[in-house]
Amino acid sequence: MKKLITAGALALASSAAFTGQASAATICFAFQDLETEFWVAGHAAITTTLEEQGHTVIERNANEDANRQLEQVRDCIAQGVDGIIIIPQDGESAVTIVGEAQDNDVPIAVFNRPPSDLSRGIIVVADNETIAEQAVDYLVEKALEDADAGETLQPLILVGDLGDPNAVGRKNGFYNAIEKQADRFETPIEVATEWDAATALSNLEAAVTANPEIDLVFTSSDFLFPTIRSVFEPRGMWKTRDEEGHVVLGGLDGDATACQLIKDGHVDATGVQDLYYEAEAALDAILSAIDAGEYAPNVVIEDPGFALTADSITDSEMDMWGCVLLAEGFLDN
Amino acid sequence: MNTDLSRLALRNATILIFTAVLVLFGLVAPGFLSPENLFNIVKQSSFIGIAAIGITFVLLTRGIDLSVGSVMYLGPLIAGFAMRDYGVGVAGGFAVAILAGLAMGAINAFFIVRLGIAPFIVTLATLFFFRGAGTWMTSSRQFDFDREMLDFGLSSVAGIPVPILLFALALVIAHLTLTRTTFGKQVYAIGADPEAAKKAGIRTGTIETGVFLISATTASVAGFVLISQIGRLDVAFGEGREFDVIAAAVLGGASLFGGVGTAWGTAVGATLIQTVKTGLIFSGINLYLQPIALGLVIFVAVLLDSLRAWRLQVSQRRAIRAEVAD
Repeated sequence: MKKLITAGALALASSAAFTGQASAATICFAFQDLETEFWVAGHAAITTTLEEQGHTVIERNANEDANRQLEQVRDCIAQGVDGIIIIPQDGESAVTIVGEAQDNDVPIAVFNRPPSDLSRGIIVVADNETIAEQAVDYLVEKALEDADAGETLQPLILVGDLGDPNAVGRKNGFYNAIEKQADRFETPIEVATEWDAATALSNLEAAVTANPEIDLVFTSSDFLFPTIRSVFEPRGMWKTRDEEGHVVLGGLDGDATACQLIKDGHVDATGVQDLYYEAEAALDAILSAIDAGEYAPNVVIEDPGFALTADSITDSEMDMWGCVLLAEGFLDN
Repeated sequence: MNTDLSRLALRNATILIFTAVLVLFGLVAPGFLSPENLFNIVKQSSFIGIAAIGITFVLLTRGIDLSVGSVMYLGPLIAGFAMRDYGVGVAGGFAVAILAGLAMGAINAFFIVRLGIAPFIVTLATLFFFRGAGTWMTSSRQFDFDREMLDFGLSSVAGIPVPILLFALALVIAHLTLTRTTFGKQVYAIGADPEAAKKAGIRTGTIETGVFLISATTASVAGFVLISQIGRLDVAFGEGREFDVIAAAVLGGASLFGGVGTAWGTAVGATLIQTVKTGLIFSGINLYLQPIALGLVIFVAVLLDSLRAWRLQVSQRRAIRAEVAD
């Protein structure tokens, strides 16, 4: 964990763009939970950097309860914090929380999970649709390379929680890429996961039993790769790129497991959210607003992300936060 | 004759609904009734099914256990630490998961039985406490098990997947306990009338302690069984599963007011839910419509079950009157 914190802090501290000018402030950091590597790494990057710069961080974990998060933010406001950073539970509750903060003259930044209304608050958001499209473009290219001329292929997508705008964006990006080659693909099979490994396991197993001939799989989050392995392995579908019967496989997030699996050859590509850029942008914006005495800053900061592929990993490995964690032994702990 | 048939049908309404669901999806989706898929349905039911069998004991005594989702997470996690740090292997890990479940059940039972706090309050508190403990132990990170765990979860005995065998074992033990032991009879007696049970000399505290131990232990085992199929334990694992577990038990005929329910019925309830979920996937139903369709099926099943209970009560009352008239 210490290494993880160090990685995040170093990435931020070394950034020339980061101003770090704000005088000591009290920041409320309210997050919905830390279910995956991405959120853990983002949390570490934000809290460590703030503390190292002499700011006080009040942390609040809502345990995936949107109402509780609203109460926690109200509590922070009552304590007189200078600014708030939230990772909301969903897009709708984020709108309410941003409104609550701004109505009480407290600047607020929303990290990575966008409100359904982007007009208020500092919104730092990955362009999930574009990132997913980049990754799936590569998967499509690889799948068609291996296919016979004129053969139509069967794609499958593991969809996240449909109440989460990130999940919807990723689904849209997947379809954008598939539709570019619509004549070469069957109607995609959609598998609901609700961002839950157990749900994903049972639904994917059912989907693969119903449709054994699957050529391309895209998971809306990298944390489901072990679940995919559990379903594919007994069916002889868990193969590396060099092996006969390899199912073209990709995801989105850019976590340590994805990095390892791209290196192993099981995964072909993953869409990467530039975590350190997003954390840096959120901190920079909120601290600047506090310094300027601006209570209701409204700006959307977009992370364009990128796709790390089997072809680009040699050159771009350390651009992906998951590969940085992997190099630090994250998966060995 | 007709009355006998309708009574038989009413008594087995859940089974009939289950059969109707199987036939319906079998007609809609080719391959749905294939042996492979039917095996998969039972295998995927095992996770919720094992925990639901355990919570049935609690429901029978008019209790409730909201902590099962968190126990599903913390039990296998403690087992995972034991496997990693002490090299106890999968069998040892399984034993540790059972012990961890017993310990968590004992915590629930202590506050409920000894201190007399309502089960709803206690288990709501331990829902957060157990999950918080797990989150603290892992610093919110996933826990990766060794390969042998996955080998166990994906293994079969005589062609039957291990999760199905464990589900069947839990069902048989629970069924025998409820139907053939004094403990089982006392569980029903407490649920039917706690005061009368106390007056009859039943040590209600001991029985209540027993049912919370069973509930937490089965939840821990259920978590272990599911995680053994994935090989990784995420921090959100098991969240909200208490509702699935209770739904399975109620769908299988267990009453939230105690005294009514069977292990067999609960197993059918858990399998019915999974059958519907799988059927919706086989039918290619839109993702947005799947939860609505599942909710509708559960609602209709519970409604029919309630109707069954009411009709059965009425017909039995008539039969008693007829006998008196004779």
